[in-house]
Amino acid sequence: MLQDLLKEQKALFAPGVHTELRGQNNRNRRVILLSGDVVANVRSDVSGVSARVYRNGVWGFSSMAEYTKEAAATVLKAATENAEFMDRHAGNGKPTFPPIAGRAPFEMEMFSEPGQKVYVDFAREIDAYVAAHCPKLTSRKVIATEDSMEKLLKVSDGMDAHILSPRSYIYVFLSAETPAGAPVELFKSFGGSGTFDVNFTDPSALQNGIDRLYEQLMQKREGVYADAGEKTVILGGMMTGMLSHEAVGHTVEADLVLGGSVAAHNLNKRVASDLVTLTDFAHDAFGEVCPLPVFVDDEGTEAKDVTLIRDGILTGYMNSRESAQHFGMQPGGNARAWMFSDEPLIRMRNTAVHPGSDKLADMISSIDDGYYLIESGNGQADTTGEFMFGVTMGYEIKGGKLGKALLDTTISGVAFDMLKTVDMVGDEIVWCSSGFCGKKQPMPVGMGGPALRCKVKIGGR
Amino acid sequence: MERMNAIAKTILAEAKKLGADYAQCTVSESEKKEFNVDGGQFSLMRTLFNRNIVITVLKEQRKGTVQINRFDEDSVKAAVADAVAASDSGMADPAWEFARGPVDESFEEGAPECDTDRLFMRTKELLETIREKHPKILMEQMITEHDAARTVFMSTNDVCYRTRSGCYSFGLMYSAHEGEKSSSFYGSDVTLKTLDKPVIECALIERELTAVEQQLDPMQLEGKFIGPAVLAPMALAEIVIETVMGSFAGDMSLIDGTSIWKDRLGQEVADPAFSLAFEPFSEDVVIGERYTGEGYPAENYDLIRNGKLTSFALSQYGANKTGGRRAGNQSGNMMIAPGKKTLEQLIGEIERGILVMRFSGGQPAPSGEFSGVAKNSFLIENGKIAGALSETMISGCVPEMLKQIRGISSDVMKDGNVSLPYIAFEGITISGK
Repeated sequence: MLQDLLKEQKALFAPGVHTELRGQNNRNRRVILLSGDVVANVRSDVSGVSARVYRNGVWGFSSMAEYTKEAAATVLKAATENAEFMDRHAGNGKPTFPPIAGRAPFEMEMFSEPGQKVYVDFAREIDAYVAAHCPKLTSRKVIATEDSMEKLLKVSDGMDAHILSPRSYIYVFLSAETPAGAPVELFKSFGGSGTFDVNFTDPSALQNGIDRLYEQLMQKREGVYADAGEKTVILGGMMTGMLSHEAVGHTVEADLVLGGSVAAHNLNKRVASDLVTLTDFAHDAFGEVCPLPVFVDDEGTEAKDVTLIRDGILTGYMNSRESAQHFGMQPGGNARAWMFSDEPLIRMRNTAVHPGSDKLADMISSIDDGYYLIESGNGQADTTGEFMFGVTMGYEIKGGKLGKALLDTTISGVAFDMLKTVDMVGDEIVWCSSGFCGKKQPMPVGMGGPALRCKVKIGGR
Repeated sequence: MERMNAIAKTILAEAKKLGADYAQCTVSESEKKEFNVDGGQFSLMRTLFNRNIVITVLKEQRKGTVQINRFDEDSVKAAVADAVAASDSGMADPAWEFARGPVDESFEEGAPECDTDRLFMRTKELLETIREKHPKILMEQMITEHDAARTVFMSTNDVCYRTRSGCYSFGLMYSAHEGEKSSSFYGSDVTLKTLDKPVIECALIERELTAVEQQLDPMQLEGKFIGPAVLAPMALAEIVIETVMGSFAGDMSLIDGTSIWKDRLGQEVADPAFSLAFEPFSEDVVIGERYTGEGYPAENYDLIRNGKLTSFALSQYGANKTGGRRAGNQSGNMMIAPGKKTLEQLIGEIERGILVMRFSGGQPAPSGEFSGVAKNSFLIENGKIAGALSETMISGCVPEMLKQIRGISSDVMKDGNVSLPYIAFEGITISGK
């Protein structure tokens, strides 16, 4: 646990200059079993301190791989000098930020530290279950992992905080072959916020999920190629989460708006059907704790929900304090950094489309010729809102009924066009939090949503 | 370097004391200087002082790895104990094997010293040149940096490498804008040893900026057809190389037996015009790998030579697991042999097809089949660029594509890490609305 070595260093902050000082530790635990062999057995602990200083519209930042009072003083000095260098050569005279409310220090409870044996033993139990119950596999992979952050934050203006963000997962990858001998693969993640020993106490709790994954893989072995072209589809909740994050979320990050994203010209305009409301939730959503709750960001701003689309109208952006000042908006606590050596960037927290009132069964039966798309391997989007998601599991819909499983395919579209085609919204939300969002730095994020009926372009063979 | 040597020796001695049969460590110190441009404006200067230690131990053929970034003795000894404890919790695997000495080598690579003022000057010059010559380009983000590192690799098998290295890197992310019209974003990158010429003249930066400016009025392709696709270097890496390395030739796919090339060594897997090598010693590489993660000295090797699969990209562990042979290096320094025709000539021979600068697709399937969006792409008609395309998907199968190569360009993109041409492939499904 990080001792508070930074308290006295606040005396070194220059008066009237926005300054952040952050001590941080990132720990990562990773065990990979490939067809029963431990091919990776890794523990990583990386800590240090960083400072960031804002002067006349430009920033200086510095970090050291050392968490001491002396290192804190060194990085404060170096960050100040960097800000002065930038001000001298490229300053634009912007004022410092307006003060923000919420000055009470924010503390969280410490998390536990399970030994590496806990990860190895649990992964081996899962691997043994897969080996015993999934006979038609060509290979299997089980990954047990935890990546947790601890931050100690001191700011010139805002909330000082001691933040702990643990999360841990088991990933199960199953591979088989089609009758023609072509390899097919599926994976599923289990887990979420919390340390490994808290999230994984009973291996049998994962068995139903593994059985379902194997069943889907066996269906995929016999799968067919999607017919390329524009189709009416049902996006499952995981796919909706991907859409919320990749295709809409990134375009409404204020730094990308300033970089020319499509959202720059669409504020307060219709970008979706009136069935669509989209929020970047801070820590609670729909009466539950979010997958990866955020209470305060790395600029010392208290985290609040940010409504991005309300009833189909684009209503806001996600902001840092600097971008909020630029757009005349309120910062909502979106500025977050991955490692001690990273500066805070505008990042999503838990981004989700709100559930509606339709039943999934009714949505499927409403389609004569289309697809039900459930799982995605990855997704990418453009600042134009043009998106692409890999689809790793889905089914044909023929005459209102589910048909054959699909082989891997992709879907694409333009977010603000595609969202206008949404005409049914499911009543159950599905969350996912096991991946990393990639920007300049990686960042754990939550994403979710209900099933959506809409039109997208699907890739075929 | 002396302090890092001493730390490395302490780690190895401590590991032996705790019962490790083998130990290796990498001890490094690095410094980064970085300028950021956001939304076309200078925004941030960063200076980072980093340290890193990675310790791997083997005890009764059980492996454990620990990474920390502290150099104090207590932390280092605790990390060694942690690595030994991790190996104790693992499972024995006779395939783990590491290089044996005696080896003691030192290397100096790239530009270890940073000229900060010159880096800023080249950054400012690049930004101003783009504003002047490419006024429609909006620089979403530009990150320019110098990275310097000193590293000691040492193992209990009497293997030691010491490296001092540094390089300048320029990463540009941009799109074209005119009123409310916008192109897709595109990224240009280059790694340099010196700053002796304007950065816009390096790699394909100038050509790529010009192409993106021409993508403001894309057309929508109606229907679908099967035809040739010319993949620009970045798209070539994203579609073909990623699939070859991820699904066919790397450790994981060969160990788990899913590689469709597992029995194809020595056989023809591509058109005879296609050769793919990994060459960290190429003069086109600014900082090349000099030793592998298992401690073996790196050497250049061919993965595919004149269409024949001549090697897999196996580590020693992967080689032992599969009965194969360790590859010469584990670098990403891909070199694809150029052809004889210019890009213009390649395009000139195509009646109807597509030029793809960037690909946005799903992860490569183990079968090599792919589909995704052809980003920053152009329609080719009657041997000429007919205009930019939007929302166009392409799909195909990499093993089939490699055998249906129409041509390889003499133009190559050398970005300090790789050397890649444009390649025209037949048989790509190209679909619009």
